[in-house]
Amino acid sequence: MTAFLIAGLTLRELARRRLVTAVAVLTLAIVAFTLWGTLRLAGASVHGEALPTAGLRGAAAGIVILLAFLFSFVLALGAALVAAPAMGESVANGEILTLLARPIRRADVVFGRWLGTLAALILYVAVTGGIKLAVVRFATGYLPPHPLAALAFLAGLATVVTTASIALATRLPVLAAGIVAALLFGFAWIGGILEAIGLALGNTGLADAGTVITLAFPTDALWRGALYALQPAVMTAAVTTMPAATPNPFSVAAPPPGALIAWACGWVLAVFAAGVASFRTRDL
Amino acid sequence: MPDAIAVRGLAKRYGRIDALHDLTLRVAPGECLGFLGPNGAGKSTAVKLLLGLVRPTGGDGELLGRPLGDRATRRRIGYLPEIFRYPGWLSAREVLAFHARLLHLAEAPRSIDAVLDEVGLLARADDRVAAYSKGMQQRLGLAVALLGDPDLVFLDEPTSALDPLGRSDVRALIERLRARGTAVFLNSHLLGEVERVCDRVCIVDGGHVVAEGAIDALLRGAHGARVLLDDGWHHYDVTAAEIPDVVARLVAGGARVHAVEPKQISLEERFLELVRPA
Repeated sequence: MTAFLIAGLTLRELARRRLVTAVAVLTLAIVAFTLWGTLRLAGASVHGEALPTAGLRGAAAGIVILLAFLFSFVLALGAALVAAPAMGESVANGEILTLLARPIRRADVVFGRWLGTLAALILYVAVTGGIKLAVVRFATGYLPPHPLAALAFLAGLATVVTTASIALATRLPVLAAGIVAALLFGFAWIGGILEAIGLALGNTGLADAGTVITLAFPTDALWRGALYALQPAVMTAAVTTMPAATPNPFSVAAPPPGALIAWACGWVLAVFAAGVASFRTRDL
Repeated sequence: MPDAIAVRGLAKRYGRIDALHDLTLRVAPGECLGFLGPNGAGKSTAVKLLLGLVRPTGGDGELLGRPLGDRATRRRIGYLPEIFRYPGWLSAREVLAFHARLLHLAEAPRSIDAVLDEVGLLARADDRVAAYSKGMQQRLGLAVALLGDPDLVFLDEPTSALDPLGRSDVRALIERLRARGTAVFLNSHLLGEVERVCDRVCIVDGGHVVAEGAIDALLRGAHGARVLLDDGWHHYDVTAAEIPDVVARLVAGGARVHAVEPKQISLEERFLELVRPA
């Protein structure tokens, strides 16, 4: 199938660029730093005594959530800035003219670029996320309650940003598409905070504005899913009993409802379809 | 056998700008058509309309007997765009292997070697495209256009980055394509080249066709003729319309007319007459 050929080309392109080497080096550096930090934590003492297990696990949980939070930003920015050139560069340099003169559909090009980029990002989530969790487990013995679900939600977040970036790049110049997709992610993050503050303070207007932003670009809902999966039960219980403590991006009282996850899936399909329609009607 | 190209009233408007207006033309199998015009005349737009890369705002047509934009027909078409760049991280052989897979070509390695040889890139086939000169990239573009033995080839400025040797190679290549029965649609600013390899030309300016026909017909007699007397000395330069009267008067006056020779001008001179603002 043509789309898989194009996805393969996209993957090879990413693999042969220095980007992969740079990401690998930076990831190794972060992993090494995490290992050093968590080993120091495991060996730490208070008043000459080793940290109690509960304290150590609590601190490790906090580190995992903080790492995941930073990782979600890197992932979103990476998705925005990798997907846009994957789709738009061949348009900018004229290579697309030679491809579309072949017996292929424009939808195959969009799907292939989307699939190739997403495959690379999901691999990145699985490898990097897996290594980080393994390092924390090795140093402290702590593993979050639902690590695979957390990685799946992060992959979902990457899917939303990738889809937006690809759809935008079917019309906008590469740099503009990447930056707009990254800004939308930031906007959604602020929307999530607004929603949480609105709910905590009982301010319906603020909460509704946040909800609208969350629905318009559902990355924050997916981040909250990842957060819930990483959060130890004791932390969830604490958040549930103290709702005023919720307006922050590091704790959550409940997972995103199923309807919101279904909305995110539908959003991806709708934005992808819009990207295909945009590319099919574009004069090249 | 259907025409390689047959279009009627093909048009493209971008807002208030007429990029191409009422293009009607036919190209027979094995024929080479030179598509000429100054910058911005609508040449590349015409090629993109024919290939379905741009949607027309008027007119219709067929390529190889099938409607414009027909996906299956693209298997039999080759295209060298005017401006393009293949990914620098691929080798020429990898670029061609990818296109061979898009074409579902049987015996792809043999076909790939054949086109690489045809454009003179076989020795550098495994080098990264990033290391290629502009001329080599253009040769690679030609190889991609020739892959799969197409029945119709669109060449948009195929020699713009080539040295005189490369231009000569492209001329020879077009001759070989014609000999094989492949129709060639050639966009070029190099009028001498067009004059040497094309059967017919279509000249566009400002999106409008200003002349179309066989090169000989377009050039011969465009400036009238020279009437030569048999003394080998006297001659009269006349317009095409004056020829019958002048010859009749000369003969009636007892002069012996040796020849009436249409004046031959170059394609470049004719082109400038047609497109240069008055």
